[in-house]
Amino acid sequence: MNWRRWLFGRRELTLALACVVVTLIFHFLSPYFLTAENLTTILRNSVELLLISLGITFILATAGIDIAVGGALGICAIFVGWSIQGGWPFGVVLLIGPLIGTGLGLISATLIVQGKIPPIIATLGLFGVYRAAIFLLLGGSWISGLPDTLGAAVNTTIAGIPITAIYVVVFYAAGWLIIRWLPLGVAIRATGGNERAARLSGVGIARTKFFVYGFTGLLVGFAAFLYVARYRNVETSTGGLVALDAIIASVLGGTSVLGGKANILGAMFGVLLVRLLQNGFVLIGVPSLWEQVITGVLLIGVLILDALAERSANDAQVVATQ
Amino acid sequence: MIAAIKQIRFSGLLALWFIALVVFALRAPAFFTVANFTSVLQFSTLLALVTLGQTLVILSGGGGIDLSVGGIVSLSGLVIASLLKAGMPGFAATLAGVVFGGVLGGINGSIITRLRLLPLIVTLGTYYAYNGLALALTGGAPISGLPASFGLLGQSEILTIPLHTVVLVAPIFLLLLFTLNQTPLGRWIYAVGSNEKTARLVGLPVDRIRLGVYISSGVLGALAGLVADSWLLSARPNIGDNLELLSLTAALLGGTSIFGGSGGISGSLVAVLFFTSLQVGLQMLNINSIWQLGLVGLFLIGSVLLDRLIRTAQTK
Repeated sequence: MNWRRWLFGRRELTLALACVVVTLIFHFLSPYFLTAENLTTILRNSVELLLISLGITFILATAGIDIAVGGALGICAIFVGWSIQGGWPFGVVLLIGPLIGTGLGLISATLIVQGKIPPIIATLGLFGVYRAAIFLLLGGSWISGLPDTLGAAVNTTIAGIPITAIYVVVFYAAGWLIIRWLPLGVAIRATGGNERAARLSGVGIARTKFFVYGFTGLLVGFAAFLYVARYRNVETSTGGLVALDAIIASVLGGTSVLGGKANILGAMFGVLLVRLLQNGFVLIGVPSLWEQVITGVLLIGVLILDALAERSANDAQVVATQ
Repeated sequence: MIAAIKQIRFSGLLALWFIALVVFALRAPAFFTVANFTSVLQFSTLLALVTLGQTLVILSGGGGIDLSVGGIVSLSGLVIASLLKAGMPGFAATLAGVVFGGVLGGINGSIITRLRLLPLIVTLGTYYAYNGLALALTGGAPISGLPASFGLLGQSEILTIPLHTVVLVAPIFLLLLFTLNQTPLGRWIYAVGSNEKTARLVGLPVDRIRLGVYISSGVLGALAGLVADSWLLSARPNIGDNLELLSLTAALLGGTSIFGGSGGISGSLVAVLFFTSLQVGLQMLNINSIWQLGLVGLFLIGSVLLDRLIRTAQTK
């Protein structure tokens, strides 16, 4: 019983186990799956989503939501693209994305905190505004054919470890540190758990919300930098509905949309599980058009299992108290 | 006081629509013509049907939202088209498609009410599942070449008003308006939305009412799919794209509270006509339709901010 609770009571371990099982299954089905090259590809394809999901996990923990991150990613990517075209030094190219991203995150936070607009409405509105802004900034054409000056920022390996993995580990470690060990983490969870109670006990609600949206913006900006480094172009559709992917990953990871809980490692394994499945199915010959179906069914399946498990746990508790 | 706010909101939206109409009329002489009036209505039907469903879902509270509705439109449209291609008569295929849409909505509703899961997350999952299925099953290609006789609903007009506006949108709107305001069922939807706990205590079948609104949203989505099929004589796997965000925005801009229990479908319908006028007008001025999305986003934020300001001013 104890080992079971240890393994299944903690979402990140369950998901890590699921990742291992999925990897083994696909390994038997396709010789191309479990190769260093393929795993690196999966990781490289996940890095932007990994960063954004970390931010979304913070936002969900405060009982907020952000639909607009895809639009923000597009805007940041345009500025990164321009700074490369303009021949700016590497430092500017690196920092402009996170800077703009943080600014956009603070706009969301201002509407939510000062304007007292429910997060879903504020960010839904901003999503539309950002999409139009992307179109305006790009003037209807794409930024394409950028020189490969940023290739090193995504393709280098350090001691055999892809540099993108290092980015992810650094940001997730920081996120985990904040949530688990810093007073800020307590404030974030308290805000999401019961905002009124948190305010009455002296938690700076406004400050906390500004932090989570700003921090997410920073991550989105850095993701935009990596996006441009990888694809070397920016289209009007860049970013798209990545917000929905990120919400799915966070929820799979055990973070509640109702707030009060944040599972940082869970979000990471949530993204990896989705990406492993998508990649594996393609390798065994399922057309990539099924990607969305796989994601949706996975989410619903996990939610239903979760609800049933919780129900049987409650029943067991009732029996025990009787 | 609350009635006053609603009145201000509603007239504000009407004024906004009126301003848009005047601006377009001044800038594009062809805007204020009968033909253009027809085309605004023609374009508005899909969003109108979906927004009516979305409004019911939001009104019923409990965090009600239906993100999957665009997928329902696409998928039901495909079902109707493939049944027609298989030789089924138009009426039977339509009926099957509408039932199918109801089932898709019922899946949302059952998972949400039985397992007490959040609508946002459940319909996010089915958003991926339904949209994904529509793409995957067709390989992304439309089902085209439907019999020309099937175009009756989508392409003909009565006195310059599109047939589907006359036989679908208007009657459904009036039926829902009557149901919401004049029948116990309608008042129950508001009651469940404004205070779930009290509604349960007085014995309202909260879960059945909520299941019902999700099924209605599915049925309305399928009707939108039907109109699209009949209009284009083909079923596109992505015809419902963006309808979830647009319908959500229209419902909220129309004055329905995201927390449920207050608002209504009249505001939603005006918001839909406003959106469509923007879309058609911008097209006439050769301005990219992406601006519609941007303007609508601004208006959405602006309207909620204004709402707050009026409310604070009145409480002072």
